[in-house]
Amino acid sequence: MTHLSMHRDDTHLLAQRFVDQDLTAAERESFADRMGRDGGLRHRVIALQGVAAAGSRLARPTVSAAFVAGVLERTAAVTKRPARVSRIAPPEAGQADTAKARRSLDDQRRSLAFLWTPHTMQWNLAQAAAVLLLAVAAGFGVARTIGPGAPAATSAAATPMPVMVRLVVLQPDARSVNAVGDFNGWDPGRTSLQQVSSGVWSVTLPLEPGRYEYMFVVDGQRWVGDPAAIEQADDGFGSRNAVLEVLPHGAPL
Amino acid sequence: MEGGRDDAALVQAAQDGDQGAFGVLVARHGASVLSVTTRMLGPADAEDAAQDAFVAAFTALASFKQESKFSTWLYRIAVNKCHDRLRARRVFDVSIDEEHDDGWEPPDDETPHWELEQSEMAEAIERGIRDLPPLYRESFVLRHVEGLDYDEMSAILDAPRDTVKMRVYKARGLLCRALAHLSGAYR
Repeated sequence: MTHLSMHRDDTHLLAQRFVDQDLTAAERESFADRMGRDGGLRHRVIALQGVAAAGSRLARPTVSAAFVAGVLERTAAVTKRPARVSRIAPPEAGQADTAKARRSLDDQRRSLAFLWTPHTMQWNLAQAAAVLLLAVAAGFGVARTIGPGAPAATSAAATPMPVMVRLVVLQPDARSVNAVGDFNGWDPGRTSLQQVSSGVWSVTLPLEPGRYEYMFVVDGQRWVGDPAAIEQADDGFGSRNAVLEVLPHGAPL
Repeated sequence: MEGGRDDAALVQAAQDGDQGAFGVLVARHGASVLSVTTRMLGPADAEDAAQDAFVAAFTALASFKQESKFSTWLYRIAVNKCHDRLRARRVFDVSIDEEHDDGWEPPDDETPHWELEQSEMAEAIERGIRDLPPLYRESFVLRHVEGLDYDEMSAILDAPRDTVKMRVYKARGLLCRALAHLSGAYR
Protein backbone atom coordinates (compact mmCIF):
# COMPACT_ATOMS: atom_id res chain seq x y z
CA MET A 1 0.00 0.00 0.00
CA THR A 2 1.47 3.35 -1.01
CA HIS A 3 1.80 6.27 1.28
CA LEU A 4 -0.69 8.16 -0.85
CA SER A 5 -3.36 5.49 -0.58
CA MET A 6 -2.71 5.25 3.16
CA HIS A 7 -3.49 8.91 3.36
CA ARG A 8 -6.63 8.55 1.25
CA ASP A 9 -7.77 5.61 3.33
CA ASP A 10 -7.13 7.53 6.51
CA THR A 11 -9.37 10.39 5.38
CA HIS A 12 -11.99 8.03 4.18
CA LEU A 13 -11.93 5.94 7.34
CA LEU A 14 -12.32 9.08 9.39
CA ALA A 15 -15.28 10.07 7.20
CA GLN A 16 -16.90 6.67 7.65
CA ARG A 17 -16.29 6.69 11.38
CA PHE A 18 -17.70 10.20 11.52
CA VAL A 19 -20.90 8.90 9.88
CA ASP A 20 -21.06 6.15 12.51
CA GLN A 21 -20.45 8.72 15.27
CA ASP A 22 -17.50 6.56 16.14
CA LEU A 23 -14.84 9.28 16.55
CA THR A 24 -13.36 10.41 19.83
CA ALA A 25 -14.08 13.99 20.79
CA ALA A 26 -10.60 15.07 19.71
CA GLU A 27 -10.84 13.23 16.38
CA ARG A 28 -14.27 14.70 15.74
CA GLU A 29 -13.09 18.22 16.37
CA SER A 30 -10.09 17.83 14.12
CA PHE A 31 -12.17 16.20 11.38
CA ALA A 32 -14.85 18.87 11.53
CA ASP A 33 -12.13 21.42 11.10
CA ARG A 34 -10.89 19.63 7.98
CA MET A 35 -14.42 19.44 6.58
CA GLY A 36 -14.79 23.17 7.16
CA ARG A 37 -11.79 23.79 4.93
CA ASP A 38 -12.45 21.05 2.33
CA GLY A 39 -15.74 21.30 0.42
CA GLY A 40 -15.11 18.03 -1.40
CA LEU A 41 -14.66 16.14 1.84
CA ARG A 42 -17.75 17.80 3.29
CA HIS A 43 -19.70 16.78 0.22
CA ARG A 44 -18.56 13.15 0.53
CA VAL A 45 -19.49 12.96 4.18
CA ILE A 46 -22.95 14.35 3.44
CA ALA A 47 -23.33 11.73 0.71
CA LEU A 48 -22.33 8.92 3.09
CA GLN A 49 -24.72 10.19 5.72
CA GLY A 50 -27.38 10.42 3.03
CA VAL A 51 -27.21 6.77 2.01
CA ALA A 52 -27.22 5.67 5.64
CA ALA A 53 -30.28 7.79 6.35
CA ALA A 54 -32.03 6.62 3.18
CA GLY A 55 -31.42 3.01 4.23
CA SER A 56 -32.97 3.60 7.61
CA ARG A 57 -36.07 5.11 6.02
CA LEU A 58 -36.82 2.16 3.75
CA ALA A 59 -40.25 0.61 4.16
CA ARG A 60 -40.76 -2.42 6.38
CA PRO A 61 -42.23 -5.41 4.58
CA THR A 62 -45.76 -6.36 5.55
CA VAL A 63 -46.25 -9.76 7.09
CA SER A 64 -49.15 -11.43 5.29
CA ALA A 65 -51.69 -13.91 6.57
CA ALA A 66 -50.41 -16.54 4.24
CA PHE A 67 -46.92 -16.06 5.57
CA VAL A 68 -47.67 -16.79 9.23
CA ALA A 69 -50.14 -19.50 8.34
CA GLY A 70 -47.50 -21.09 6.15
CA VAL A 71 -44.93 -21.05 8.93
CA LEU A 72 -47.34 -22.53 11.45
CA GLU A 73 -48.47 -25.17 9.02
CA ARG A 74 -44.90 -26.22 8.43
CA THR A 75 -43.95 -26.15 12.11
CA ALA A 76 -47.02 -28.23 12.94
CA ALA A 77 -45.80 -30.77 10.40
CA VAL A 78 -42.40 -30.72 12.11
CA THR A 79 -43.91 -31.54 15.49
CA LYS A 80 -46.07 -34.27 13.95
CA ARG A 81 -48.70 -33.71 16.56
CA PRO A 82 -50.98 -36.66 17.15
CA ALA A 83 -54.43 -36.24 15.74
CA ARG A 84 -56.74 -35.03 18.44
CA VAL A 85 -59.56 -37.39 17.71
CA SER A 86 -60.31 -37.71 21.39
CA ARG A 87 -61.32 -34.07 21.55
CA ILE A 88 -64.05 -34.57 19.01
CA ALA A 89 -67.26 -35.45 20.78
CA PRO A 90 -68.80 -38.65 19.51
CA PRO A 91 -72.29 -38.14 18.13
CA GLU A 92 -74.84 -38.39 20.87
CA ALA A 93 -77.35 -40.12 18.67
CA GLY A 94 -74.73 -42.70 17.89
CA GLN A 95 -74.63 -43.86 21.49
CA ALA A 96 -77.67 -45.98 20.78
CA ASP A 97 -76.13 -47.47 17.73
CA THR A 98 -72.58 -48.61 18.40
CA ALA A 99 -71.92 -49.57 14.81
CA LYS A 100 -72.91 -46.16 13.55
CA ALA A 101 -70.86 -44.45 16.18
CA ARG A 102 -67.81 -46.47 15.31
CA ARG A 103 -68.32 -45.84 11.61
CA SER A 104 -68.63 -42.17 12.33
CA LEU A 105 -65.35 -42.14 14.25
CA ASP A 106 -63.70 -44.09 11.45
CA ASP A 107 -64.91 -41.43 9.06
CA GLN A 108 -63.40 -38.82 11.29
CA ARG A 109 -60.09 -40.57 11.39
CA ARG A 110 -60.05 -41.08 7.64
CA SER A 111 -60.63 -37.44 7.07
CA LEU A 112 -57.81 -36.32 9.34
CA ALA A 113 -55.61 -35.70 6.34
CA PHE A 114 -58.02 -32.97 5.46
CA LEU A 115 -58.58 -31.88 9.01
CA TRP A 116 -54.95 -30.95 9.44
CA THR A 117 -54.91 -29.01 6.23
CA PRO A 118 -55.18 -25.36 7.13
CA HIS A 119 -58.19 -23.47 5.96
CA THR A 120 -56.39 -20.20 5.94
CA MET A 121 -58.28 -17.19 7.09
CA GLN A 122 -57.40 -13.61 6.70
CA TRP A 123 -55.47 -11.44 9.07
CA ASN A 124 -54.05 -8.08 9.51
CA LEU A 125 -50.74 -7.07 10.96
CA ALA A 126 -50.36 -3.55 9.78
CA GLN A 127 -49.30 -2.49 13.25
CA ALA A 128 -47.60 -4.40 16.00
CA ALA A 129 -50.76 -4.64 18.04
CA ALA A 130 -53.08 -5.11 15.11
CA VAL A 131 -55.43 -7.97 14.78
CA LEU A 132 -53.75 -11.11 13.70
CA LEU A 133 -55.98 -13.79 12.42
CA LEU A 134 -53.41 -16.47 12.14
CA ALA A 135 -55.04 -19.43 10.59
CA VAL A 136 -57.26 -22.32 11.04
CA ALA A 137 -54.23 -24.39 11.11
CA ALA A 138 -52.75 -27.77 11.42
CA GLY A 139 -52.11 -28.59 15.03
CA PHE A 140 -54.54 -25.95 16.15
CA GLY A 141 -57.44 -28.24 15.42
CA VAL A 142 -59.53 -27.86 12.35
CA ALA A 143 -61.72 -30.80 13.00
CA ARG A 144 -64.62 -32.43 11.40
CA THR A 145 -67.33 -33.05 13.88
CA ILE A 146 -70.96 -33.67 14.24
CA GLY A 147 -72.96 -30.53 14.67
CA PRO A 148 -74.82 -29.94 17.91
CA GLY A 149 -78.21 -31.50 17.75
CA ALA A 150 -77.56 -33.05 14.40
CA PRO A 151 -77.62 -36.81 14.73
CA ALA A 152 -75.02 -38.55 12.66
CA ALA A 153 -77.42 -40.82 10.93
CA THR A 154 -79.41 -38.04 9.34
CA SER A 155 -76.86 -35.29 8.92
CA ALA A 156 -74.50 -37.39 6.86
CA ALA A 157 -76.91 -37.81 4.02
CA ALA A 158 -79.00 -34.67 4.05
CA THR A 159 -77.04 -31.62 5.18
CA PRO A 160 -73.35 -30.96 4.66
CA MET A 161 -71.22 -31.82 7.65
CA PRO A 162 -70.16 -28.81 9.68
CA VAL A 163 -66.48 -28.05 9.75
CA MET A 164 -64.90 -27.06 13.02
CA VAL A 165 -63.22 -23.79 12.23
CA ARG A 166 -60.91 -22.16 14.70
CA LEU A 167 -60.40 -18.44 14.50
CA VAL A 168 -57.12 -17.33 15.99
CA VAL A 169 -56.44 -13.67 16.59
CA LEU A 170 -53.49 -11.83 18.06
CA GLN A 171 -54.67 -8.95 20.22
CA PRO A 172 -52.04 -8.48 22.92
CA ASP A 173 -53.70 -5.55 24.66
CA ALA A 174 -57.32 -6.64 24.49
CA ARG A 175 -59.42 -7.43 27.55
CA SER A 176 -62.01 -9.23 25.45
CA VAL A 177 -62.42 -10.26 21.83
CA ASN A 178 -65.66 -11.34 20.21
CA ALA A 179 -66.33 -12.56 16.71
CA VAL A 180 -69.28 -11.21 14.79
CA GLY A 181 -70.38 -12.33 11.39
CA ASP A 182 -72.84 -14.10 9.21
CA PHE A 183 -72.49 -17.14 11.44
CA ASN A 184 -74.01 -15.47 14.50
CA GLY A 185 -76.25 -12.75 13.14
CA TRP A 186 -73.56 -10.14 13.84
CA ASP A 187 -74.37 -10.28 17.51
CA PRO A 188 -71.30 -9.36 19.59
CA GLY A 189 -72.71 -11.17 22.60
CA ARG A 190 -72.82 -14.61 21.05
CA THR A 191 -69.26 -15.63 20.17
CA SER A 192 -66.48 -14.72 22.55
CA LEU A 193 -62.87 -15.73 22.04
CA GLN A 194 -60.75 -17.11 24.86
CA GLN A 195 -57.20 -15.98 25.45
CA VAL A 196 -55.21 -19.15 24.93
CA SER A 197 -51.72 -17.72 25.32
CA SER A 198 -49.67 -14.58 24.93
CA GLY A 199 -52.35 -12.33 23.54
CA VAL A 200 -53.57 -15.05 21.24
CA TRP A 201 -57.36 -15.28 21.29
CA SER A 202 -59.20 -18.24 19.92
CA VAL A 203 -62.64 -19.68 19.34
CA THR A 204 -63.76 -22.82 17.58
CA LEU A 205 -66.99 -22.71 15.60
CA PRO A 206 -68.94 -25.46 13.86
CA LEU A 207 -69.72 -23.96 10.48
CA GLU A 208 -71.39 -25.49 7.50
CA PRO A 209 -69.52 -25.08 4.25
CA GLY A 210 -70.16 -21.68 2.78
CA ARG A 211 -69.03 -18.11 2.66
CA TYR A 212 -69.06 -15.98 5.79
CA GLU A 213 -68.23 -12.36 6.36
CA TYR A 214 -67.02 -11.43 9.80
CA MET A 215 -65.18 -8.94 11.97
CA PHE A 216 -63.84 -8.88 15.48
CA VAL A 217 -65.00 -6.69 18.34
CA VAL A 218 -62.22 -5.77 20.73
CA ASP A 219 -63.08 -4.75 24.30
CA GLY A 220 -66.72 -4.60 23.38
CA GLN A 221 -66.43 -1.49 21.26
CA ARG A 222 -63.70 -1.54 18.66
CA TRP A 223 -64.79 -3.29 15.48
CA VAL A 224 -61.74 -4.52 13.67
CA GLY A 225 -61.81 -5.35 10.01
CA ASP A 226 -58.97 -6.79 8.04
CA PRO A 227 -57.47 -4.52 5.37
CA ALA A 228 -54.87 -7.13 4.47
CA ALA A 229 -57.36 -9.93 3.95
CA ILE A 230 -57.02 -11.98 0.83
CA GLU A 231 -60.71 -11.56 0.29
CA GLN A 232 -62.80 -8.75 1.66
CA ALA A 233 -66.21 -7.28 1.20
CA ASP A 234 -67.60 -3.81 1.77
CA ASP A 235 -69.76 -3.77 4.85
CA GLY A 236 -71.85 -0.85 3.63
CA PHE A 237 -70.61 1.30 6.53
CA GLY A 238 -67.25 2.30 5.13
CA SER A 239 -65.31 -0.64 6.51
CA ARG A 240 -64.27 -3.94 5.10
CA ASN A 241 -65.32 -7.32 6.36
CA ALA A 242 -63.02 -10.26 6.19
CA VAL A 243 -64.37 -13.17 4.22
CA LEU A 244 -64.08 -16.74 5.38
CA GLU A 245 -64.62 -19.56 2.92
CA VAL A 246 -65.42 -22.83 4.66
CA LEU A 247 -64.79 -25.69 2.31
CA PRO A 248 -66.61 -29.01 2.50
CA HIS A 249 -64.62 -31.95 3.78
CA GLY A 250 -62.43 -33.38 1.10
CA ALA A 251 -62.62 -30.32 -1.11
CA PRO A 252 -59.40 -29.52 -2.92
CA LEU A 253 -57.74 -26.47 -1.44
CA MET B 1 -50.54 -7.99 30.21
CA GLU B 2 -49.55 -11.38 28.98
CA GLY B 3 -49.36 -10.18 25.38
CA GLY B 4 -46.49 -7.98 26.40
CA ARG B 5 -44.33 -10.99 27.22
CA ASP B 6 -40.82 -10.53 25.99
CA ASP B 7 -39.04 -12.75 23.52
CA ALA B 8 -37.32 -14.80 26.21
CA ALA B 9 -40.64 -15.74 27.81
CA LEU B 10 -42.20 -16.54 24.44
CA VAL B 11 -39.20 -18.67 23.46
CA GLN B 12 -39.48 -20.53 26.75
CA ALA B 13 -43.19 -21.13 26.14
CA ALA B 14 -42.53 -22.25 22.58
CA GLN B 15 -39.82 -24.61 23.83
CA ASP B 16 -42.46 -26.04 26.16
CA GLY B 17 -44.69 -26.75 23.17
CA ASP B 18 -46.83 -23.61 23.04
CA GLN B 19 -47.25 -23.13 19.31
CA GLY B 20 -49.23 -19.95 19.87
CA ALA B 21 -46.18 -18.42 21.49
CA PHE B 22 -44.12 -19.28 18.45
CA GLY B 23 -46.83 -17.69 16.29
CA VAL B 24 -46.40 -14.47 18.25
CA LEU B 25 -42.64 -14.62 17.63
CA VAL B 26 -43.26 -15.10 13.90
CA ALA B 27 -45.61 -12.13 13.86
CA ARG B 28 -43.24 -10.01 15.90
CA HIS B 29 -40.09 -10.75 13.90
CA GLY B 30 -41.58 -11.52 10.51
CA ALA B 31 -40.99 -8.04 9.13
CA SER B 32 -37.31 -8.08 10.10
CA VAL B 33 -36.68 -11.48 8.58
CA LEU B 34 -38.60 -10.54 5.44
CA SER B 35 -36.67 -7.29 5.23
CA VAL B 36 -33.41 -9.23 5.14
CA THR B 37 -34.57 -11.93 2.73
CA THR B 38 -36.29 -9.46 0.41
CA ARG B 39 -33.22 -7.28 0.14
CA MET B 40 -30.80 -10.17 -0.10
CA LEU B 41 -32.74 -12.31 -2.56
CA GLY B 42 -35.36 -10.10 -4.21
CA PRO B 43 -39.11 -10.42 -3.80
CA ALA B 44 -39.56 -13.71 -5.67
CA ASP B 45 -37.71 -15.86 -3.13
CA ALA B 46 -38.07 -13.68 -0.07
CA GLU B 47 -41.15 -15.23 1.55
CA ASP B 48 -40.00 -18.79 0.99
CA ALA B 49 -36.60 -18.06 2.45
CA ALA B 50 -38.13 -16.24 5.42
CA GLN B 51 -40.45 -19.17 6.09
CA ASP B 52 -37.48 -21.52 5.82
CA ALA B 53 -35.72 -19.41 8.43
CA PHE B 54 -38.64 -19.59 10.87
CA VAL B 55 -39.11 -23.30 10.36
CA ALA B 56 -35.37 -23.84 10.90
CA ALA B 57 -35.58 -21.73 14.05
CA PHE B 58 -38.54 -23.75 15.28
CA THR B 59 -36.75 -27.01 14.56
CA ALA B 60 -33.64 -25.86 16.39
CA LEU B 61 -35.50 -24.14 19.21
CA ALA B 62 -34.67 -26.82 21.75
CA SER B 63 -30.97 -26.13 21.21
CA PHE B 64 -31.36 -22.36 21.61
CA LYS B 65 -29.98 -21.60 25.07
CA GLN B 66 -30.97 -17.93 25.13
CA GLU B 67 -27.32 -16.92 25.47
CA SER B 68 -27.95 -14.33 22.77
CA LYS B 69 -31.12 -12.44 21.98
CA PHE B 70 -33.69 -14.43 20.02
CA SER B 71 -33.61 -11.78 17.29
CA THR B 72 -29.84 -12.12 16.89
CA TRP B 73 -30.14 -15.87 16.58
CA LEU B 74 -33.02 -15.53 14.13
CA TYR B 75 -31.19 -12.99 11.97
CA ARG B 76 -28.27 -15.38 11.81
CA ILE B 77 -30.50 -18.19 10.61
CA ALA B 78 -32.13 -15.87 8.05
CA VAL B 79 -28.77 -14.69 6.74
CA ASN B 80 -27.61 -18.29 6.39
CA LYS B 81 -30.77 -19.19 4.50
CA CYS B 82 -30.00 -16.32 2.13
CA HIS B 83 -26.44 -17.59 1.68
CA ASP B 84 -27.77 -21.06 0.80
CA ARG B 85 -30.02 -19.65 -1.89
CA LEU B 86 -27.38 -17.32 -3.28
CA ARG B 87 -24.94 -20.22 -3.47
CA ALA B 88 -27.54 -22.25 -5.32
CA ARG B 89 -27.80 -19.39 -7.81
CA ARG B 90 -23.99 -19.40 -7.96
CA VAL B 91 -23.85 -15.69 -7.25
CA PHE B 92 -22.53 -15.89 -3.74
CA ASP B 93 -18.84 -16.24 -3.23
CA VAL B 94 -17.59 -15.93 0.32
CA SER B 95 -14.14 -15.07 -0.99
CA ILE B 96 -15.37 -11.69 -2.24
CA ASP B 97 -14.04 -9.56 0.50
CA GLU B 98 -11.63 -7.11 1.88
CA GLU B 99 -8.79 -7.77 -0.57
CA HIS B 100 -11.13 -7.15 -3.43
CA ASP B 101 -11.33 -3.39 -3.41
CA ASP B 102 -13.85 -2.29 -5.94
CA GLY B 103 -13.46 1.39 -5.46
CA TRP B 104 -15.38 2.09 -2.35
CA GLU B 105 -14.33 5.67 -2.13
CA PRO B 106 -16.32 7.78 -4.54
CA PRO B 107 -14.34 10.44 -6.37
CA ASP B 108 -15.32 13.96 -5.46
CA ASP B 109 -17.34 14.45 -8.60
CA GLU B 110 -19.27 11.23 -8.13
CA THR B 111 -21.22 11.99 -5.02
CA PRO B 112 -24.99 12.13 -5.14
CA HIS B 113 -26.62 15.50 -5.29
CA TRP B 114 -29.78 14.48 -3.47
CA GLU B 115 -32.07 15.99 -5.96
CA LEU B 116 -34.32 12.95 -5.98
CA GLU B 117 -37.73 12.94 -4.39
CA GLN B 118 -38.06 10.74 -1.32
CA SER B 119 -39.87 7.97 -3.18
CA GLU B 120 -37.34 8.07 -6.00
CA MET B 121 -34.59 7.95 -3.40
CA ALA B 122 -36.11 4.88 -1.74
CA GLU B 123 -36.36 3.17 -5.09
CA ALA B 124 -32.81 4.14 -6.00
CA ILE B 125 -31.43 2.92 -2.68
CA GLU B 126 -33.31 -0.37 -3.00
CA ARG B 127 -31.83 -0.84 -6.45
CA GLY B 128 -28.39 0.15 -5.22
CA ILE B 129 -28.61 -2.37 -2.37
CA ARG B 130 -29.67 -5.08 -4.79
CA ASP B 131 -26.62 -4.40 -6.94
CA LEU B 132 -24.13 -4.58 -4.06
CA PRO B 133 -21.99 -7.71 -3.67
CA PRO B 134 -23.83 -9.96 -1.19
CA LEU B 135 -21.42 -9.49 1.72
CA TYR B 136 -21.72 -5.72 1.49
CA ARG B 137 -25.43 -5.96 0.85
CA GLU B 138 -26.17 -7.91 4.02
CA SER B 139 -23.92 -5.65 6.06
CA PHE B 140 -25.63 -2.49 4.85
CA VAL B 141 -29.09 -3.97 5.39
CA LEU B 142 -28.35 -5.11 8.94
CA ARG B 143 -26.61 -1.88 9.87
CA HIS B 144 -28.85 0.74 8.36
CA VAL B 145 -32.14 -0.83 7.33
CA GLU B 146 -32.40 -2.97 10.47
CA GLY B 147 -30.48 -0.50 12.63
CA LEU B 148 -28.20 -3.01 14.36
CA ASP B 149 -24.90 -2.23 16.03
CA TYR B 150 -21.58 -3.74 14.98
CA ASP B 151 -21.37 -6.12 17.93
CA GLU B 152 -24.70 -7.74 17.10
CA MET B 153 -23.80 -7.82 13.42
CA SER B 154 -20.55 -9.52 14.26
CA ALA B 155 -22.51 -12.28 16.02
CA ILE B 156 -25.04 -12.58 13.19
CA LEU B 157 -22.50 -12.64 10.39
CA ASP B 158 -19.94 -14.70 12.29
CA ALA B 159 -17.20 -12.25 11.36
CA PRO B 160 -14.96 -9.99 13.42
CA ARG B 161 -16.38 -6.61 14.32
CA ASP B 162 -13.79 -4.71 12.28
CA THR B 163 -14.42 -6.86 9.22
CA VAL B 164 -18.13 -6.12 9.45
CA LYS B 165 -17.39 -2.43 9.80
CA MET B 166 -15.25 -2.40 6.69
CA ARG B 167 -18.03 -4.10 4.74
CA VAL B 168 -20.48 -1.44 5.84
CA TYR B 169 -18.01 1.30 4.88
CA LYS B 170 -17.57 -0.24 1.45
CA ALA B 171 -21.30 -0.66 1.00
CA ARG B 172 -21.91 3.00 1.79
CA GLY B 173 -19.17 4.07 -0.61
CA LEU B 174 -20.53 1.90 -3.41
CA LEU B 175 -24.05 3.17 -2.83
CA CYS B 176 -22.83 6.76 -3.00
CA ARG B 177 -21.25 5.99 -6.32
CA ALA B 178 -24.35 4.25 -7.66
CA LEU B 179 -26.57 7.15 -6.61
CA ALA B 180 -24.17 9.68 -8.06
CA HIS B 181 -24.53 8.06 -11.44
CA LEU B 182 -28.24 8.04 -11.00
CA SER B 183 -28.58 11.66 -9.99
CA GLY B 184 -26.29 12.50 -12.89
CA ALA B 185 -28.68 10.72 -15.20
CA TYR B 186 -31.56 12.73 -13.82
CA ARG B 187 -29.89 16.02 -14.52
